[in-house]
Amino acid sequence: MEAAILTENLTRRFGDFTAVQDVNLRVETGQFYGFLGPNGAGKSTTIKMLTGLMAPTSGRMQILGFDLATHMVDVKRQIGVVPEGMALFGRLTGSEYLNFVGRMYGLNRTTAAQRAAELLEFMELTDHPKTLITDYSHGMQKKLAMAAAVIHGPKVLFLDEPFEGVDAIASNTLKAMLQRMISRGATIFLTSHVLEIVERLCTHVGIINNGRLVAQGPLDDLRVSTADEASPGERMSLEEFFLKTVGGPRTAAQELSWLG
Amino acid sequence: MAGLVPDSREQLRAVATLRWRLVLNSLRSVRGRMNLVSRSIAGLLVTAAGLGGAFALGATAWELTRTHKLEWLAAFFWIVFLFWQFFPVMATAFTQNIDTSALLRFPLSYKTYFFVRLAMGTLDIATALGLFWSFGLVIGISAAAPRLIPWAVVAVLGFIVFNVLLARAIFVWIEHWLSRRRSREIMGLLFFVLMIGFQFIGPALDHYAKKPTGQRFGYVAKLVPVQRALPPGLSASVIAAADSGNASGLLGPLALLIAYSGAALALLHLRLRQQYRGENPEGNAASTATAEDAAIRPGWKLPFFSAPVSAVFEKEVRYFSRSGPMLFTMIMPLVVILLLWGGRKSFLQHQSEFFFPIGAGYCLLVMTNLVYNSFGGDGGGIQSFLMAPITFRQVVFAKNLAQFAVLVVEVAILLLGVSLIYRPPHPVFLVLTFCWYLFAAPINFGVGNLLSLYSPKKIDYAVFGRQRASETTIFASLGVQLVVMGIGAFAIFLGYHYDNYWLGTLILAVLAIPAITAYLILMRRIDAIVMTRREVLATELCKA
Repeated sequence: MEAAILTENLTRRFGDFTAVQDVNLRVETGQFYGFLGPNGAGKSTTIKMLTGLMAPTSGRMQILGFDLATHMVDVKRQIGVVPEGMALFGRLTGSEYLNFVGRMYGLNRTTAAQRAAELLEFMELTDHPKTLITDYSHGMQKKLAMAAAVIHGPKVLFLDEPFEGVDAIASNTLKAMLQRMISRGATIFLTSHVLEIVERLCTHVGIINNGRLVAQGPLDDLRVSTADEASPGERMSLEEFFLKTVGGPRTAAQELSWLG
Repeated sequence: MAGLVPDSREQLRAVATLRWRLVLNSLRSVRGRMNLVSRSIAGLLVTAAGLGGAFALGATAWELTRTHKLEWLAAFFWIVFLFWQFFPVMATAFTQNIDTSALLRFPLSYKTYFFVRLAMGTLDIATALGLFWSFGLVIGISAAAPRLIPWAVVAVLGFIVFNVLLARAIFVWIEHWLSRRRSREIMGLLFFVLMIGFQFIGPALDHYAKKPTGQRFGYVAKLVPVQRALPPGLSASVIAAADSGNASGLLGPLALLIAYSGAALALLHLRLRQQYRGENPEGNAASTATAEDAAIRPGWKLPFFSAPVSAVFEKEVRYFSRSGPMLFTMIMPLVVILLLWGGRKSFLQHQSEFFFPIGAGYCLLVMTNLVYNSFGGDGGGIQSFLMAPITFRQVVFAKNLAQFAVLVVEVAILLLGVSLIYRPPHPVFLVLTFCWYLFAAPINFGVGNLLSLYSPKKIDYAVFGRQRASETTIFASLGVQLVVMGIGAFAIFLGYHYDNYWLGTLILAVLAIPAITAYLILMRRIDAIVMTRREVLATELCKA
């Protein structure tokens, strides 16, 4: 079976600093993949490289079998992205922006307009028809960025912190939408600091730390403690596994004594 | 646990330190250091304006005091007053305002909060100039009549206190309104309309100068009693009464001046108290969707062009139409026409055939900001272009197309204006200008596209002034404009010299061929350039 996302020794350096080092990702079609890591670990750099926003220093990337270096436009046609900066045009209205994005992805004018209206309704953004995006709240902007990422029906969706700043109701709607996409065969690659969300949604997880992929696999397999630990075979929470993998919590001695 | 008791002085010191650190930290970047240089130059200019104004007002006050015409001082108090109150409000249209009410999250006493708001707001150009000019008046009066020093000091001090309090009161009452983008844009446009309105002062004064003297003074006489009851008039009345030895006559105006200051203080206190308590009297009115809003509206379709080009073109035009500063460039040809109209009875009337080419050149010049930093206003939206499954050439071409459309509209307005005020330009000048555009526009668009990719800088289309492209862009665009304008001027000079403007037209038409070819070659390479520049573009334009 062909992998939806495949990287080989993906590396990115900024001068002397190596942000991503020899990352080998494999995400199969239909997987909901959570990409985790502490701040500055290399998550956003990896997503930028996978979506063509940044060139790798070395290594190969394939999306749906297309080599990103040689088939950039073919890849872009198949993917949807909510990048770190959300990629919004502040001085358009939500409807105008979605119309714009739809046409940029090749939808005809009528389809783009219909889908824009449906998405605005779905995301509960229809109460602000004349408001410019720059005047939206952060959560509304996130919902709009998500709507823009799916307007063309992508096969692979890259989401960089998609739930940050989104209220609980909208978050629930988005999660349901993403799960429906998975059930229809789409692949989702998501980064989030909220481990509960990853635990609830994702089937597979990869953890990056200091630019290196330190764990990857099905979530259920990763959470099972290994035999050399105190309780072999017992299932850990994702948070416990994550902390164990990237360095663990601070000790009591490191805590601030003057805090009440 | 015993809570910490905040020391007000320590809090004030912390706020002052914060301001100082902000200044120092801004110097870490080249842009910050450049800003320091420009601020230093601005500081020198303000000092010069302050000292010059103080000298002029002082000399006038000296003369009025010497000739015992002190009631005329009111006119000068009014000038200072109007500047002091109007300039700060208008200047907010040019800047993003620092919201000092954010300090409310700290455990500040109301007294400390009031003092911080008053002190930080008072450190502005209007107050500095107002103080300079007010002291100029005191010095002028004191030099002419030393016996008036105490009353001049009291009256001017009352005037200063009133102005400081009123300016702050006005500002805190409208700052919430001004913190909204649309309000700032309206204020900015209003400012420029006023600036253009100044063009009409001359004709208006001419108009009234033609009226009989009695009628002219009749207009002024109606205003005198009204202005006497207001602070600038009251300040002048105090000094005039002191000069005439009328002790009882000066107490009334002085008491009223103090009462006005008290009223301004009360207004200021009322609003700051509301802020301190967390009350927000304006509220936020939510917009409601109508059936018309919910209707499905397909985007634009340009004939002969692809869907992505149409989409980017539509986006550009919408951006343009929603930007006060950008719309202002649209009315620039009208300003040029207005200036030409002002000079229609001067020597310019004999050279009217040059108006159209000169105006058309000016139209291209005012497009510089747009053309040479064409992704600056997109901000984070640049990622949309980079992520879309299209060639970047389509994006750049659509942007150029939109810029060209704006240029065509501007030139059409200019042509109409010139034709109405004078006469339609001679066909040779129409063709000459057209050929110059065929040569100058591709060069400007080509170099503009390169600089937009190599030296991008994020700008906010909603804010007037204080925003400019990078230094590299400024110098390069200046060089290009000098060359294309110089060649255009040379073509006209040749035509003038040989009394045959078709000669210059031919030269420009020939030069247009390599210019268009170079533009097309560049456009073929634009995707390769973007691949190498995409990270810089995204990083620079996605900055918070």
